[in-house]
Amino acid sequence: MNSIATAVSMPETAVQEGTDVDHKIEYPATTVGAPFVDKAKLRMRGIDVFYGDKQAIHNVSLDIGQHEVVAMIGPSGCGKSTFLRCLNRMNDTIEGCRVSGDIQLDGEQINGASVDVVPLRARVGMVFQKPNPFPKTIYENVAYGPRIHGLASRRAELDEIVETSLTRAGLWNEVKDRLDQPGTGLSGGQQQRLCIARAIAVSPEVILMDEPCSALDPIATARIEELISELRENFTIAIVTHSMQQAARVSQRTAYFHLGNLVEVNDTERVFTNPEHALTEAYITGRFG
Amino acid sequence: MQFDQHISRQFNDDLEQIKTDMLEMGGVVARQVEDAVTALADADSELAEKVIRIEEEIDEREMTLDENCTLIIAKRQPAASDLRMVMSVIRTVHDLERIGDEAQKIAKLAIQLSQEGSAPRGYTEVRHIATAVRAMLNESLDAFTRFDAESALKTMAADEQVDQDYKSAIREMVTYMMEDPRSISRGINVLWALRSLERIGDHAKNICEQVVYLVRGTDIRHGNL
Amino acid sequence: MTKSHALRNQEKVRSRIEQNLKRRYRKEKIFRGFGIASIVFGLLCVAVLLTDIIYKGHGAFFQHYLQLEVQYDPETLGIEQVDESALALANFDGVIKDAMKARFPEARDRRARRELYSIPSTDAPFALRDRLQQAPQLLGERETIWVMVDDDVDAFIKSLDEIEGGFRGRVSERKAGWLMSLYESGELQNRFNTQFFTSGDSREPEQAGIKAALVGSALTLLVTLALSFPIGVAAAVYLEEFAPKNRWTDLIEVNINNLAAVPSIVFGLLGLAIFINFFELPRSAPLIGGLVLTLMTLPTIIISSRAAIKAVPPSIREAAMGMGASRIQVVFHHVLPLAMPGMLTGAIIGLAQALGETAPLLMIGMVAFIVDVPTGITDPATVLPVQIFLWADSPERAFIEKTSAAIMVLLAFLITMNLGAVWLRKKLERRW
Repeated sequence: MNSIATAVSMPETAVQEGTDVDHKIEYPATTVGAPFVDKAKLRMRGIDVFYGDKQAIHNVSLDIGQHEVVAMIGPSGCGKSTFLRCLNRMNDTIEGCRVSGDIQLDGEQINGASVDVVPLRARVGMVFQKPNPFPKTIYENVAYGPRIHGLASRRAELDEIVETSLTRAGLWNEVKDRLDQPGTGLSGGQQQRLCIARAIAVSPEVILMDEPCSALDPIATARIEELISELRENFTIAIVTHSMQQAARVSQRTAYFHLGNLVEVNDTERVFTNPEHALTEAYITGRFG
Repeated sequence: MQFDQHISRQFNDDLEQIKTDMLEMGGVVARQVEDAVTALADADSELAEKVIRIEEEIDEREMTLDENCTLIIAKRQPAASDLRMVMSVIRTVHDLERIGDEAQKIAKLAIQLSQEGSAPRGYTEVRHIATAVRAMLNESLDAFTRFDAESALKTMAADEQVDQDYKSAIREMVTYMMEDPRSISRGINVLWALRSLERIGDHAKNICEQVVYLVRGTDIRHGNL
Repeated sequence: MTKSHALRNQEKVRSRIEQNLKRRYRKEKIFRGFGIASIVFGLLCVAVLLTDIIYKGHGAFFQHYLQLEVQYDPETLGIEQVDESALALANFDGVIKDAMKARFPEARDRRARRELYSIPSTDAPFALRDRLQQAPQLLGERETIWVMVDDDVDAFIKSLDEIEGGFRGRVSERKAGWLMSLYESGELQNRFNTQFFTSGDSREPEQAGIKAALVGSALTLLVTLALSFPIGVAAAVYLEEFAPKNRWTDLIEVNINNLAAVPSIVFGLLGLAIFINFFELPRSAPLIGGLVLTLMTLPTIIISSRAAIKAVPPSIREAAMGMGASRIQVVFHHVLPLAMPGMLTGAIIGLAQALGETAPLLMIGMVAFIVDVPTGITDPATVLPVQIFLWADSPERAFIEKTSAAIMVLLAFLITMNLGAVWLRKKLERRW
């Protein structure tokens, strides 16, 4: 029943087990499909991530193109979130986490102890799984980023940034009359859009989204998905999701991770109708997970 | 191609069910074609009436299968090979139903011809083409059962031969009719039967295309080979 | 077949559950009963304690005064005019004695006189002096004034309600007779004892007050708060947010937890050795008391502050860091404001603990007999719990009620602080 996963984790026993075709699935030496693009916004080469002695990501190389939505899918614990967090160095905050390899943002190295993460995180924003607005007012939530990075010199300027960000996040009409009320008083979907507004307030180039809809109801999810496709015009987006339908709906390319390996990257249409790798096929058709 | 390894066993069963139902329908349709041709050749109007009766059953099967496929899409949102499986079943069922229609047409012609007396000319051609078409139909359903794209491609190639045979049969029938104008009305009925057989061959070819799509994920319809 | 089997099984399970139900409810009831019993027991203990203290101590807030007709006779006083040096030398004692003699002319022999003179408090001459200093024109005049009575007298009269004939103690039959006559004629009056709140300690119970101890406690706590809160919060923030997690920080953490359990007298010894013997700071001073209590409360504050910081959801930290906030900004913009109510609660509980602490202060000399109200953190001082300890140790009967009264003041202080903690938390802890 779970023979694919078994075969992968225990290849030596798989041979004796039977004659099924799927038992012969092994990891590709390199990622199958098209992990590289010509005009890459983010270029990752040979990324390894360790938690202490445990290797969470094995030699992953991937490009994310300008103004493209790349979805990362895979079973729990496959390393997709870990990989996403490499892109704005959020893994630095985890004790004992080590990231090696080349990560370039517009050809500029961003992985390494000498790189300052503060300006990097202004360029690469992040939206988290659970909506996590600050326990401050709606206005303060959005104004926080511009404030700490000194983007507005006058109050009027800040007001404008807040308004544009909220408008872009599709929240302005809902909250314009209660900007001074706590952000945590909004509904889950509104909170998540507030978090997106907060992230885009500092005009980042890339937005990372770590399962942004997993805590939301279907209608709020649909709103966020709609928002993602609108944001694509101005931002490059990398999204980790558990929902394959969501990946299929919002992304242009899909990357499938399995046990810390990047198994396949292909155009989303290709992945969901005729994936190249048997592991991808097994995952998206619900044969293991 | 394995459809018995989903985490959801119900999903396995659903997919298995539509495949079995479709193949069963295929068996009934193949039998219809055989009976229709026999009725025509032997001028057996009873057999022909049976074929016409059974056609209704085929229509019902088509509707049930369509509904089951719709339900699978709605409930499971199949992807990749599962999605191709459902899609090819829907399309194949459609082709099978059309084959059933053609068999019904042949059966109706058989009734008309049997009322007109002894075996006319042209029956040899009909028999010959019918054999080839039935073989194609059976092979295409076999290929579906075994998910065998290779044999499906081979079967498709056989359609060209059927087309040629059909053309030469028509020429021959035209010659007969010119020789003996009294036989024109009967000859036209035979032509109709030949025409139906040729269509059945085309539908069998479509089924083969679905097998290739199902196994390889590539759409080879309309010459996209 | 399987279905009927399942049905049978369900029935079996249901009857099992019903069988056990009674026992389960009984257990629950017993457990609840135990809980209620313990709470009732606790409340009873508190009630008994409070009643006892209030019953014993309420008397200390009142004091009997004696009406005296005095004459500021320059001859008896031995002065010509009213000025600083003259008042210092003046014999007010004689004036009091004259007044007493005049009231009870029947006391003639020496023993009777001595008993007679012991009725007003030894504070009475000072009261007269203050009066004369205030109104110099009274020199040579007559006046009726009220002076405090001696503690024995006060105790005797207060006990009249409880014991038939009153608690005599050191009061002789004859003196008791005089007192009864004074009491009945209204020349002895029970008044609110302001001196209890306005003066320092004294050997004479009727003159003893808690002001010195109260001010000493306040100064000591001020020093403790000023030192332990910033140090404790800074240590907690560093340990939680910045320190690397390694063997050293583990060791520090274990030691902080151990320090919280160290007997407080050890901190007193430490204070004695370091602050007094090594740094030679003035002994008995609130400064040292505060330093020692800082040492004692630091672990409490660090532990509670760390707990408060830990309770800040990591998602908020992540959000701030994801926005590109530096670590300092994360701490000051997000973590500290959210952790502040918890930290303050910890600090106030720590301070309340320090307020009630006696043992370490004994070691650094704050147990000394100090009459003057301290004016700064380097003046010799004592604190409320030490004052209570001292009074409880004194032989005079009147100190029993003083002790209980001081305990009441201390408890009021503690309750006020705890209410302050609750109020602060309510105010700061805005639920978003």
